[in-house]
Amino acid sequence: MKTETVAMLLAGGQGSRLGSLTFNNAKPAVLFGGKYRIIDFPLSNAMNSEIDTVGVLTQYRPYLLNTYISDGVAWGLDKPGYGVSILPPYEGRKGGRWYEGTADAIAQNIDFIDQYDPEYVLILSGDHIYQMDYSKLIDYHKKKKAQLTIAVMEVPWDDASRFGLVEVNDENRIIAFQEKPEHPKSNLASMGIYVFNWKELRKELVDDMEAEDSAHDFGMNIIPTMHAKDMRIFAYIFNDYWRDVGTVQSYFDANMDLLDDDVDFNIKDKNNPFFSNNFSRSPQFISDDAKVKDSLICDGCVIFGEVEHSILSQDIFVDKHVVLKNCIVHTGAEIEDGAILENCIVGSYAKVAKDTRYIASESDNPDEIHVLNE
Amino acid sequence: MRDALGIVLPQVGDDSDLHELLGHRTIGTLPFGSRYRLIDFSLSNLVNSGITKVGIIGSHKYSSIIDHLGTGKEWLLSRKTNDLAILTGSVNRRIHDRNKINMLDFILNKGYFEQSNADTVVMAASNLVTTYDFNKPNEVFEKNKADVVLIYRIDNETFHTLPNDVFLTLDGRRVSDLSYAENNKTDYKFVDMILIKRDVLLKIIDIAERNETYDLMEILKDNLDTLKVYAYKHEGYINRITDLEKYYKANMDLLHYDVLSELFFTDQPVYTKTKDNHPTQYGKNACIEDCIVGSGGYIDGKIEHSVVFRENELDEGSEVKNSILMQKCKIGKNCKLNYVIFDKEVTVRDNTELIGTEDNPIIMKKGETI
Repeated sequence: MKTETVAMLLAGGQGSRLGSLTFNNAKPAVLFGGKYRIIDFPLSNAMNSEIDTVGVLTQYRPYLLNTYISDGVAWGLDKPGYGVSILPPYEGRKGGRWYEGTADAIAQNIDFIDQYDPEYVLILSGDHIYQMDYSKLIDYHKKKKAQLTIAVMEVPWDDASRFGLVEVNDENRIIAFQEKPEHPKSNLASMGIYVFNWKELRKELVDDMEAEDSAHDFGMNIIPTMHAKDMRIFAYIFNDYWRDVGTVQSYFDANMDLLDDDVDFNIKDKNNPFFSNNFSRSPQFISDDAKVKDSLICDGCVIFGEVEHSILSQDIFVDKHVVLKNCIVHTGAEIEDGAILENCIVGSYAKVAKDTRYIASESDNPDEIHVLNE
Repeated sequence: MRDALGIVLPQVGDDSDLHELLGHRTIGTLPFGSRYRLIDFSLSNLVNSGITKVGIIGSHKYSSIIDHLGTGKEWLLSRKTNDLAILTGSVNRRIHDRNKINMLDFILNKGYFEQSNADTVVMAASNLVTTYDFNKPNEVFEKNKADVVLIYRIDNETFHTLPNDVFLTLDGRRVSDLSYAENNKTDYKFVDMILIKRDVLLKIIDIAERNETYDLMEILKDNLDTLKVYAYKHEGYINRITDLEKYYKANMDLLHYDVLSELFFTDQPVYTKTKDNHPTQYGKNACIEDCIVGSGGYIDGKIEHSVVFRENELDEGSEVKNSILMQKCKIGKNCKLNYVIFDKEVTVRDNTELIGTEDNPIIMKKGETI
């Protein structure tokens, strides 16, 4: 078997900053934008970029994610012999252990990648919302004769110190790295998307596994080592929408971006569709007392109350006299009679009791996002 | 009922006033209820009853049925142990045809029934709207050693009675006579769902071939003394789409939450072809009530008491009432639509008014622009 590019998707993180949304499932499996899960975005990008082989590295709470990815057919990743493979830590002849860092996770799966004898390995992460044609990134990598290409984006200078930054020269070759610096020298932030030449990365990974003081992390170990060797590392500047949804606030904001006409990210774009793995559900029912506006609503929802500026996943029951404003409600939740919720995230299959009230103007901190997940 | 074979009976319907919506499709593939085709109900009922092998008897319009069903994956029929077959139909059965179940369809597919190792064959028409578990009537085989079980209703109003409708005379649960509507003596109307032992069906196929009589009901009637034919009462919601009035009314029935719940919110899901659509977006000017809506839409106007399919677009200032909008209709700004039925991909320019009535809705054909 031979394929030019194997994509490796890091999906093992717990995402503890998303609080109770990840108590039972890994971050990449968290619902986004109604019917999608976060992992749909990189997987759909892979499909739209004609990548046919993807390894998904799982570790934390993988059941839902495994079931969801299934045979990959939902993202067209079902080419016989290629397609999607779920890669949990495993035991080999010399024993086994957990994935101890991003690079270690790839290093433990060298044999998996070797099966396909690829020229390039694309490293993706399972917690970003964006639309990207990876084939353009790989073409750029080839054109620059790079040994590593890092996708970066311009961030506002005021925010720059929150990111891992790169400094580039005239031809976008990276000349220096700064990790969350107090005084940023650049506003180009790494997006955690890398293209490596497999033969070279393979060697670096093997060396890194031997190194005792290494954290086995791409950002902390592999990339600085390659930089120290003066290898050709280039920045690919990406100017479109990209969001890290690692915190409750950033997750909430990125969801609400879907309702904002001024934000240049469109899940309705039929030319670059996002795919998801869903089964058949009933139509959405909106009763004669319901009020619905400025919202995204999925199949199977039953609405007797008011819904404004909110995103509802599938099979949600909104009883009469309920008011939902600026809310994100996950699959199967039930909001009982008279509940009034503002700025809330309601978890999957949660039950919000009758007359529950979370109203921003009554709160000490009106901008706070409440997560209701019982 | 893993050991049963399911059959969906054909229904063309070009002879009804639905013909404007049936240019390229049969009644079975007529869009219904925001995201379904009529055939989804009978097909899902068979699958949900545990049947793993289903044959669909086709008619001359094969492309719409093949396009809709594909390999049958969404109905769980494309697995190693499960199987969907599209069988060749012998004739283009029309709604008013005398032969309610035409044995020519079975003679033509005799090999399919011979090769099957099913014990029972369960048949349902493709134009029924009901959520039904065939395990219940199937128990009659066990209890009474029956050869045939016919499903019936007693409330005559459920369907429009057509001349080819068959009524049962009952002696207890056993059927003692069968009669067509014109000679009708009873209230027990056969609802186009039948269970039959496969060996009995094969014998009936032989009789039909030998005698050149192709009406299953006629053959059953002639053999009621030797065949054990039983009846089983259907309860709950059912509708049969045979004309425009029934089609409109059955769609609007789904706006009653109790009907919707009975059909869809059970442990027997109604399967249909899934689409990778985004969630339906309601804009800042949207005002929507008393509707069912499919996915992938963008609605910024007002919709009331309507059935809206997938991927509809309705601009601000427009109002839709009492209407059925099939997939991918585009309605411009400041339009007023009342009592319209739009086939797929109808486009309505800004400032258009189309006002039909309940008895006389305005129908637009697939792809038309106004």
